[in-house]
Amino acid sequence: MKERKKLPEGDVSSALTRRGFIKATGVVVLGAGAGVAIVGCGSDRTPVCAFTVPPSEGYLLVDTKKCQGCLTCMLACSLVHEGKTSLSLSRIQILQDAFARWPEDVSLEVCRQCVEPVCVLACPTGALTADREFGFVRRVCAERCIGCGRCVQACPQNPSRVLVAADDAFGGRAKSRKCDLCADTPYHWDPAGGGPHGKQACVEVCPVGAIAFTREIPEQSGDAGYGVNLRGAGWAKLGFPTDD
Amino acid sequence: MRQHGPLASRSGDRLYGYAGKILYVDLTDRRLTVLDTRDYLSWGGGHGMGSAVFFDRVPDKRIDGFHPDNVVTIMSSPLCGSLTPSASGRTEVQGIGVQTYPVGWFTRSNFGGRFSTLLKCAGWDGLALGGAADRPVWLDIRDGDVRIRDCDGLGLWGTDTWECQRLICKEVAGEGGPGGWVRPGAGEGCTTQRPAVLAIGPAGENLCRVACLIHETSCAAGQGGFGAVWGAKNLKAVSVIGTGGIEIADPAGLMRARLRQSREYGFDRENPRVELLSAVGRFYFAPKPGEFYGPLLGMPAPRPEGKRPKGCVGCQSGCRARYESGIGNEGTCTATRVYPGAENFEVAYTACDLTNRYGVNAYELHRGIPYLQELHRERVLGPRGEIPCDLDFSAYGKIEFFQALLEKIAYRKDPFGDALAEGFTRAAERWGRLEQDLRTGRLPFPYWGMPEHQYDPRTQVEWGYGSILGDRDINEHEFASIHLDSLQGLFPGQEPAAPAEDLVRIFTDRMEPYHRDPDRMSMMDYGTENIYSEHMAKLVAWHRHYTRFWKQSMLFCDWRWPDFVNIMQPDREGSSGVAEPAFFRAVTGRELSFGEGVELGRRIWNLDHAIWTLQGRHRDMVRYAEYMYTEPYPGLEGIPFMPYTLPGRTGGTWAYIDTSHRAIDRDGFEAFKTRFYRLEGWDPATGYPTRRTLEALGLGHVADELEAAGKLGIG
Repeated sequence: MKERKKLPEGDVSSALTRRGFIKATGVVVLGAGAGVAIVGCGSDRTPVCAFTVPPSEGYLLVDTKKCQGCLTCMLACSLVHEGKTSLSLSRIQILQDAFARWPEDVSLEVCRQCVEPVCVLACPTGALTADREFGFVRRVCAERCIGCGRCVQACPQNPSRVLVAADDAFGGRAKSRKCDLCADTPYHWDPAGGGPHGKQACVEVCPVGAIAFTREIPEQSGDAGYGVNLRGAGWAKLGFPTDD
Repeated sequence: MRQHGPLASRSGDRLYGYAGKILYVDLTDRRLTVLDTRDYLSWGGGHGMGSAVFFDRVPDKRIDGFHPDNVVTIMSSPLCGSLTPSASGRTEVQGIGVQTYPVGWFTRSNFGGRFSTLLKCAGWDGLALGGAADRPVWLDIRDGDVRIRDCDGLGLWGTDTWECQRLICKEVAGEGGPGGWVRPGAGEGCTTQRPAVLAIGPAGENLCRVACLIHETSCAAGQGGFGAVWGAKNLKAVSVIGTGGIEIADPAGLMRARLRQSREYGFDRENPRVELLSAVGRFYFAPKPGEFYGPLLGMPAPRPEGKRPKGCVGCQSGCRARYESGIGNEGTCTATRVYPGAENFEVAYTACDLTNRYGVNAYELHRGIPYLQELHRERVLGPRGEIPCDLDFSAYGKIEFFQALLEKIAYRKDPFGDALAEGFTRAAERWGRLEQDLRTGRLPFPYWGMPEHQYDPRTQVEWGYGSILGDRDINEHEFASIHLDSLQGLFPGQEPAAPAEDLVRIFTDRMEPYHRDPDRMSMMDYGTENIYSEHMAKLVAWHRHYTRFWKQSMLFCDWRWPDFVNIMQPDREGSSGVAEPAFFRAVTGRELSFGEGVELGRRIWNLDHAIWTLQGRHRDMVRYAEYMYTEPYPGLEGIPFMPYTLPGRTGGTWAYIDTSHRAIDRDGFEAFKTRFYRLEGWDPATGYPTRRTLEALGLGHVADELEAAGKLGIG
């Protein structure tokens, strides 16, 4: 159902693949443990800047076989972020086809809080950052966002985990939105709020428990790291399968 | 329609929960008119708004359902798309139907899925469809862009409901299934979602009175024959996709209410209690697909295969499923039992799929097919029978037989198929055997030509009364769920949710406005001595009023609400009475008590009754099929030893009593009608509404129309 997007190579200022970056710059991107170091280069391949993007302190994992396709997570996500329920403004997207067979009939498209956040790199204004205040969650600062959409193009997932839409709080100007693990949720229900150290609306509201939160960095290549089996004995008791 | 009551529009109020607009579509002139939701706000939403719009838009209520002047309304509620648990996903359909007999009453149906949410995201609280197009069309709604489009372009006319939806999805979203972000309309809004489509199949195209509306695989507006009504309008489908949002008055409050409902009244995910028969999951908000209890009711056992529960938008506990085989996806309840005697699970579920694809009402077939079997066994029906029929009954149980039958009905193939396309009651009439088969009960269609629903009028009396005093088989399980739950005790290790007396007390303590009556518990005494009483009249009246507002206008789903008794609570006290107003307040920002909602339901019920009266309803017509009076109820599903247990009081002691083996007493029923009409403030001699009652409900203009038609009651 979903395909990983193919990204343009060679242009540091736009979306990059790892291979494309190395090809363009000859610079290796460091590993994930202490964060990703990304070095930009001028035309003579001289390093011109460097910054470290620490990994997020939280990630969402999903059980695609468990989801009941009720879209409650989408309604809750938009509700706590925007004050209204809107499938188009949800940072989690559920795709489904009533005519398809289980388990391919549903997919849960969540932001991976990538260890190598190309969306962060693509942002020309620094609006999209790994936010230190919220456990380095990859987050959009709406005030600085100019709605250019480069983050949307940069996201390697399909559908893009970033969306750009008119923002009522900014007079209808286009602003980027993405999953921030509920860090920036003016309508959060819990006084303690969200973010990697708080509560995420989609995790809490899912009626069947198909979404989980973890602090462990998932395997980054492929999809297996973010797809997990959350179906236990209780699920079996209701008559549903629990195998992987 | 005039504003009246606690939900009347107040100028300057911001509308939360509502989109603010209703779209009126004149298919004859292909003209679109935007109605202001505020003009109908006092009706709440859903059914209330639908009845009010219908009353305003249809001057002559005596028209046939096939008449172009018939208006079909499709309404959401302010709670749709709001994440109110099991109250966010339904859509209400109304108009003059063509299925009931002898009169196609102004009626209703209701379906789940995604439609009402997408409709509101597109900026519409509802649709009203009038007129008739000169050639087959479909309605293409993309946010504020609405077009009436000819079916020719996509070759829609002639397709089954699934193929129709697939073709429209590809047209609107640019591909056949879900995928990436698309911009469906002329505006900037994007979505990953695909259009929600409501469609008719061949049965509707061929004006079969038993044709229904289908959304997705198995979300059906089943009763009323609305498929044929659309067919008469040359309307194949309505597609809606929206990129907007729904403003919520108290977002954080709504989240808190939702999470509390799940935590305290939902189910324990780690150790769920499995209820074998519990009331289609009513006392326990756990996912439970419709096939769960099928084998207990004679269906083949499902084969082991991968599956997930499937809930409508915002549902707390999916009652459907999607399967590894893909067969029977989202089929539930009687749609999966449409073919009695199917030889295996795969045939049963394929029959469900075919029924939905052809767009035929499953209940009509579920009860009608055994009738055909009996006629065939007696050689009345067959190649050389009085009723010529070339169906191969030796293949009964196989899918080939079922599909052949469906094709005959959907395409009106031969006189036999043409007769059944009119529904089994009219078919029996055409065959000259209606009177005899309703006298014996061979044709189990007890009220308005509609089939029995397993909750028999002789036992589950409020179901029968509500159906015969209304417009259709009510399909409202508030009290029928008690019967199923009370049977738990037949199974080892199982017990009812509560002892009879406790259960009755919990229910009646919340049934405003009767909740303070000293003898309120008598409303739920199903003992024979009580079923024609004033107490039972109050139960029936309360039931009509409650469902008209909270169920059919606010669209709390019948499979999960009301939550009067809940096994998650130690004292078994559920959340209904408190939860519904809390969610309504969180979404709309308006205060409305549970009792005020019931009173609003009384207003809606009275408007409906006025419409039926204008259509020709008189108390003399309000009677069951003859067998209800002469044939004692034989036992659940015809099994003699299966009791039909309900609460009852014997010698002052409450228990779950067996209400089987009784028929309706004719005189008792007439006395009940008189009591009910008086309670409702209607003229007991005719059943007509009275001016005093209508004016007190802000419906004086309705009284004027009744008076002009000579249909105003005295009193």
